[in-house]
Amino acid sequence: MIDNFTISNKEIEKINFINQDDKEFRIKNLEFFNQNGFPSKRDEDWKFSDFREILSKNFKNISINNTYPDEKNFRLINDFDHNFILLINGRFIRSDFKFEEKKKIKIKEIESDKISRDKSENPLVCLNNALFNNGFILEIEKNYKLEKVLIIYNLFSDDLSDHILNNRNRVILNENSQLHTIEYTINKSKNKFINNSYENVLLKENSILKNISIQASKSDGYFYKFSNNKLKSDSQYVNFILSSGLKFNKQDIKVDLEGKNSECNIKSALFLDNGDHQEIKTRVNHLVPDCKSFQKIKSVLESNSKGIYQGKIYVKDIAQKTNAYQLSKALLINDNAEFNSKPELEIYADDVKCSHGSTSGNVDENSVHYLMTRGLTKQEALLLLINGFLNEITSEIKSDTIKKFVEKKLEFQINGY
Amino acid sequence: MLVIKNLKASINNRDILNGLNLKINPGEVHAIMGPNGSGKSTLANVLSGKNGYKISGELKYQGENLNDIPVEKRAQKGIFLAFQYPLEIPGVNTNNFLKTSLNTIKKAKGEKEIDTIAFLKLVKEKAKELGIDEKILSRQLNVGFSGGEKKKNEILQMKILDPSLIILDETDSGLDIDALKIIADGVNSSRSKDKSFLVITHYQRLLDYIKPDHVHVLSEGKIVKSGSSELALELEKKGYKKIN
Ligand SMILES: Nc1ncnc2c1ncn2[C@@H]1O[C@H](COP(=O)(O)OP(=O)(O)OP(=O)(O)O)[C@@H](O)[C@H]1O
Ligand SMILES: [Mg+2]
Repeated sequence: MIDNFTISNKEIEKINFINQDDKEFRIKNLEFFNQNGFPSKRDEDWKFSDFREILSKNFKNISINNTYPDEKNFRLINDFDHNFILLINGRFIRSDFKFEEKKKIKIKEIESDKISRDKSENPLVCLNNALFNNGFILEIEKNYKLEKVLIIYNLFSDDLSDHILNNRNRVILNENSQLHTIEYTINKSKNKFINNSYENVLLKENSILKNISIQASKSDGYFYKFSNNKLKSDSQYVNFILSSGLKFNKQDIKVDLEGKNSECNIKSALFLDNGDHQEIKTRVNHLVPDCKSFQKIKSVLESNSKGIYQGKIYVKDIAQKTNAYQLSKALLINDNAEFNSKPELEIYADDVKCSHGSTSGNVDENSVHYLMTRGLTKQEALLLLINGFLNEITSEIKSDTIKKFVEKKLEFQINGY
Repeated sequence: MLVIKNLKASINNRDILNGLNLKINPGEVHAIMGPNGSGKSTLANVLSGKNGYKISGELKYQGENLNDIPVEKRAQKGIFLAFQYPLEIPGVNTNNFLKTSLNTIKKAKGEKEIDTIAFLKLVKEKAKELGIDEKILSRQLNVGFSGGEKKKNEILQMKILDPSLIILDETDSGLDIDALKIIADGVNSSRSKDKSFLVITHYQRLLDYIKPDHVHVLSEGKIVKSGSSELALELEKKGYKKIN
């Protein structure tokens, strides 16, 4: 079933905001998906995550989701003041920017005719191109720096089961603006489903976007997200990926450093539980001189879990004085866990500073022993060591309240251990 | 407090302790001296419950057979080892670790757990007594601590966890005179009729400050001579060879 899974053109007819041009684009993309199917390990980009096989093992049927039940008793978190956007099954439901100057912020449901029309050979991106019908466009006026963090509540309803969702969001930060976001995924469904999302980010000159993505709890979701980021001069992009707790999660992040002095920072702290599969794949393109990119990925892996980091740094010939850094560290708690790291450097400029490193190892028995001589059980000792390993990342979050919130969530996911 | 009879221990097919006998009564301080490699740290490790040793003989602590009691339970029952080489543990916050440790031990004893405020007050007080800069306690456990700071941190843990049988493995090595006095004061102020100490050292100097009730010489995994605190002085003068 999954091996020869195809989707009928009728699904495109159901999308209501269509013009002819858009429709043709969608049909072409659907054709590509139908010809290629879900990506498998034969595809170099999916070498370590055979999505088709994973789906085959876990899904019998897959259908397109068309329901968006409103959550009447949805409650905001009350750990700190924040603006919010509420998405249900990817659909933009409502937003509240009560801490901000309203006219500085534009938010609306995504429209199909303004999206990028880049050609893609990625079947999931093509599927998203063809079928996305939900999401938001958020634009921040120039010179405006939001007072409070924006939480994007990404809620999945309990009636999802064997569905696939295709969502798309777009964020534009105009010159000299600033936005902090937390993408907070709440999954009410006890069943399996697939979320295929696409995110477009444009950071204009001197703007700053900082994001944290985190799950409210463990869930049986299979998530793929393609994130397409363009950075103009002096802009800064910071992304903390703390999204442990999904059965499958692949974050595919492309960053184009298009303007001088732009900077990208990708950090991740992941705890992979029994059977989880997570991949972070990045492609950072240094296209002009004087840009910086930093990536630090730390993963803790429990039994039968699999973690992957594929990080590619591309430095164009004119991109002199590039400073690029990449580090991946994995802590294997169990011998049945597997971690693959594949750094890739493609450098065509000569005056660059580029470094990468990758380590993976078991928990240090002597450290466990030391802690146990102080009365801690093995469990408690491991918990301290795991938290300690991951805290190196979360400790870089500047706001204390947010850091506390995030560490609490992360600890909650680790605690089952 | 502690009774050891004919203790043998080997690791990786190497015999290290070869029939060791020792009895420590409540309130006593025993010193163990002995040449490098004679098995002092091994004895300390075996008492703390470290895995990996093949052990025979009798080990009794407060009347209870220790052999089948795992390391964390021994700690919870009040056995404390101040390590010769305290480990650096990256990522683990010192205060957080101390609090977790204290509360685990309290829980095991059936006592009420301590809250953060009371804990910080306790740490502050004890750190001050030991001349420890409080700032290092918000750092990662032992990471980047100086040699002396690491040793003091072991004594701080002893003070906070309030154990009954305390094994100090060369806590004095690497300490300057002032630190040595502070640590000795720390130990002396903890002495009581229901606490016992096993002090492993190479130097008579420490024993000037911490007066032992008994001194033993360990050689090739056995206690070859025992005596009063005078024995330490004699050793200092004559060396181990003559004693044998
Ligand atoms: N894991 C091990 N495998 C093999 N031999 C070991 C092991 N641990 C200790 N030994 C050996 O056992 C002997 C005793 O070691 P131990 O550390 O107990 O000595 P010590 O008396 O504490 O010495 P020092 O005064 O130098 O601290 C040494 O020869 C040491 O090399
Ligand atoms: Mg030793």
